[in-house]
Amino acid sequence: MFSSLASLQPRQLAAQVLNFALVLSTAFMLWKGLSVFTNSSSPIVVVLSGSMEPAFERGDLLFLWNRGMDTQVGEIVVYNVRGKDIPIVHRVVRRFGGGSAPLQLLTKGDNNAADDTELYARGQDYLERSKDVVGSVVGYVPFVGYVTILLSEYPWLKTAMLGFMALTVVLQRE
Amino acid sequence: MHSSLVRIQNVFGYFTSVAFAVAAAVAVSVLLSSQTPSASLELKNVQVVKGRPHYYSTKREEYAHVKFDLDADLTSLFNWNTKQIFMYITASYPSTSPSIPPPEAVIWDAIIPSDHAPFHPNTYIHPTSKTPSKSKSKNKSKGKPYPEGASPGIVKLSNQKPKYQITDFSGKIAERENATLSLHWNVQPWVGALVWTNTNSYGRWSGLKGGVDKFDFPSLKGSETIKKEDLKTETGAEKNRGSPA
Repeated sequence: MFSSLASLQPRQLAAQVLNFALVLSTAFMLWKGLSVFTNSSSPIVVVLSGSMEPAFERGDLLFLWNRGMDTQVGEIVVYNVRGKDIPIVHRVVRRFGGGSAPLQLLTKGDNNAADDTELYARGQDYLERSKDVVGSVVGYVPFVGYVTILLSEYPWLKTAMLGFMALTVVLQRE
Repeated sequence: MHSSLVRIQNVFGYFTSVAFAVAAAVAVSVLLSSQTPSASLELKNVQVVKGRPHYYSTKREEYAHVKFDLDADLTSLFNWNTKQIFMYITASYPSTSPSIPPPEAVIWDAIIPSDHAPFHPNTYIHPTSKTPSKSKSKNKSKGKPYPEGASPGIVKLSNQKPKYQITDFSGKIAERENATLSLHWNVQPWVGALVWTNTNSYGRWSGLKGGVDKFDFPSLKGSETIKKEDLKTETGAEKNRGSPA
């Protein structure tokens, strides 16, 4: 294996590295471009919990849209609890405000008995649409996001996958 | 060129392309299905009483207790790409200031899965005419989300109590006028875009006919004249996973 590496000239090696960097940066720019298009910091999310079953199961992929600032009751929003970085996907059950006042929302998971008042930060009774909501769900693909859940729960999988990918890219140009 | 690694790569690549194309075709083909949803929603009774959000709270707020009749036919919304329909009834009333849109709250919801969806305990169970809706007999576990002999999407309720309480952020809801009860749905597909209620027609998709009722909130009633059962809420007998935290 290492003989094939040694036989590469510096220019070919540099071209390989550049190709690899190009692939990475294209993926990154596509992601950021989608972020700008949807106006959401995270335009594609993976469902992490079973609180919206049977609609969404763990591992489903959701496409978000954050340009509809007048969120209606019944829409499914992704929000971050203030002070925490965990995104939660739940349905809006109450709204008030809007227009000249900031729009405030109360959410509840379909598979939960009670609304999300317990999940919000202390002293927070409602979500603010402009500040807390990452986006509203418009599209859905089942199950394909389960890989990311595995990667985050078993960190050694991440290093193993990256190593494998780097190996195949380097070895393929014969 | 013909090593097994390359072959596996080619097969896998072809598989993902075909899967993607099929999923895209299924998601877009939904536009070809014809939909004719219709419903009739009628408020039967509304009372406004003072109450507390929970037992230990010191706040006394005004709660509105309603009973409604619902006769909905959403069977045409179930096409090949429908996984479930989330039906919900909302109550909305004008806000106190003209520059602020009406506040709105869900008072009742039901999860109606398609017949092809795998069983999940968090499903609406339609009350049957044999068991009164208050009893928790063993028949509930075998219940379907639609009445006997019907298909998913048909809901016939009479004098139904809501699942959630109606209250305003300010704590005052008595004597508010021009309130509306309206039926909505959210179709969850197997793959593709989620759709919500459409009152306008788009091609083969007719808008919802009916499903709205207007009323006024009455004045505050003293609690001595109200029956305790009228103030309770009623779930749809679904088995969810409990409290969120």
